[in-house]
Amino acid sequence: MAFGDSPDRWPKSIGRRRFLRDAGIALAAAGGGALSSMAATQSQPFANGERELVAYPQKRPLLRITTRPPHLETPFSVFNEGVITANDAFFVRYHLANIPLAVDLATYRLKVRGKVGTELSLSMAQLRALAPPVEIVAVNQCSGNSRGFSNPRVFGAQLGNGSMGNARWTGIPLKAVLHKAGVAAGAKQVTFRGLDAPVLPSTSAFIKALDLDVATGPDVLLAWDMNGKELPFLNGYPLKLIVPGYFGTYWVKHLSEITVIDEVFTGHDAWFMTTGYRLPDNECGCVAPGTTAPKTTPITKFRVRSFVTSLANNAVVKVGQPTLVKGIAFDAGSGIKKVEACIDGGRSWQDATLGKNLGRYSFREWSLPIAPKEPGPFGLLVRATAVSGETQPSEASWNPAGYARNVIESLNIVAA
Amino acid sequence: MAGKTACILACATLLGAAFSQSREIQLPAETTALRASTLPGYRIATQKCGICHSADYITLQPPAMSLKQWTAEMVKMQHAYGAPLDDEDIKPLAVYLAVTYGDAGTVPEADRLLPGPQPAIAGGAAIDVQALLAKNACLGCHALNAKLIGPSYHDVAAKYRNAPEAALGVAASIRDGGNNKWGAVPMPAFPNLAPQELQALAAFVLGQP
Repeated sequence: MAFGDSPDRWPKSIGRRRFLRDAGIALAAAGGGALSSMAATQSQPFANGERELVAYPQKRPLLRITTRPPHLETPFSVFNEGVITANDAFFVRYHLANIPLAVDLATYRLKVRGKVGTELSLSMAQLRALAPPVEIVAVNQCSGNSRGFSNPRVFGAQLGNGSMGNARWTGIPLKAVLHKAGVAAGAKQVTFRGLDAPVLPSTSAFIKALDLDVATGPDVLLAWDMNGKELPFLNGYPLKLIVPGYFGTYWVKHLSEITVIDEVFTGHDAWFMTTGYRLPDNECGCVAPGTTAPKTTPITKFRVRSFVTSLANNAVVKVGQPTLVKGIAFDAGSGIKKVEACIDGGRSWQDATLGKNLGRYSFREWSLPIAPKEPGPFGLLVRATAVSGETQPSEASWNPAGYARNVIESLNIVAA
Repeated sequence: MAGKTACILACATLLGAAFSQSREIQLPAETTALRASTLPGYRIATQKCGICHSADYITLQPPAMSLKQWTAEMVKMQHAYGAPLDDEDIKPLAVYLAVTYGDAGTVPEADRLLPGPQPAIAGGAAIDVQALLAKNACLGCHALNAKLIGPSYHDVAAKYRNAPEAALGVAASIRDGGNNKWGAVPMPAFPNLAPQELQALAAFVLGQP
């Protein structure tokens, strides 16, 4: 029993606490202290990549990146279960440890303020009544998805490729809410804040800003349902900002405050725009490995990516017989034009068959039979090209925060 | 007409559900601890890093980060994230982290012999409680009369004031930290505080009306 639960037992409980503390240190010194002995683990293919699989509320066991604030990654095998990522497998990412653990719709309000004609304070019921609901299938991906593969490595959440997911979001267009409030002339940006907050007042709040023309775009939603069910709490219940094609940093959870401003967002609480989540301000968003950028700009849209989902690294396939390889591809919203795969070291690429189109922001399934002629190991490369013409580079670029990786993925496969 | 009736029923059900929706979650406990060390930065890390994040933020990092990289990361924590670090905390913290979780070969022997921060009190000197509260960022999580992340000092005083050895117990709680007594966010341990400082803080807390 910890001190505090039972004041009459203090001398005893303090003694026990001290014992537990000292024992804990001894265990930590002996075993590294990182993982409890009972937890299942899974390893990412980079150094210090072992992760516990831990079940959180409304979630199946996911890869625990950090505990406080919670940060959970989707095991990559989930992406072979279907083109839609299940709610209980969808990744979770917070920045600040003072997160809401309860939301009561009786008191929850979405506030709209700033440079508007009429400030609003909307209950969920009022919000739902503002406009007919719309649906969109869209990928959400962490800016730092795949950061653990940065070479040289960089500080930050050491993510594999599973900090992404594809869901059908239901809500109303943000522009309907902004229209209701009446955006004043001269407005430049819209900022978004959720119910999560910093522990210390010296830490910036997590507030994101979008230019007004982006915020009022047709596909930006305020969503309450995910795959036909209410948002899982840890994905932002009761309301989440959906910015299709943009990295997850803009998809503010537990959305509680929308502010229209007539300048570019700055100040103490703008850190996650002015300092964090920025890329080198050049064509590639990259710099020479290990160097810093003279000028940076906020990260915005996804780069085109594709993955094999039906085979894991070091999988074995039959020699001389076709194996149907399956995977997914996505870009920032132009749509996927083609996916190609290659098993001869980059010499010849074969076009994959694209699966059903669930919309230009969705994962697009693809499949392609491969039939290696010789036994032994070979590389399986996959490359997507977007309708915009964007394709994936053969060499990974590097940036100091390890954002926006989109190099051609390569698996080692063995034919036997 | 039938469609309209169905809609009315469905909408009523939906609205009813919407109005009754309150959701609450409980998070799994923290299981990761920092690796113990005789380096002075270990105590600083235990005391200050844990205010804002769990230890796995540290144990997760790539294993070959140099002293220079860990130093830059501590400066980032101090200035970019507003961590309650003093300038003199930076070097011992970076040394502990680089030796324990990074490339220990980048840490000169001399740096490992640095003394830790000394409690800022001389024998018999009066203790400035307000300065202690500020230096340790206590008031980031606690207020006198309102629950922030942790309980108000008023509530702590009300709970323990009449308990036997209340001052000893509160002092031990500050020194050792606590978990699941007042809420989901654990309080880090403050092992660098001198016994006199712990007593002064405990007396201050218990003295709240």
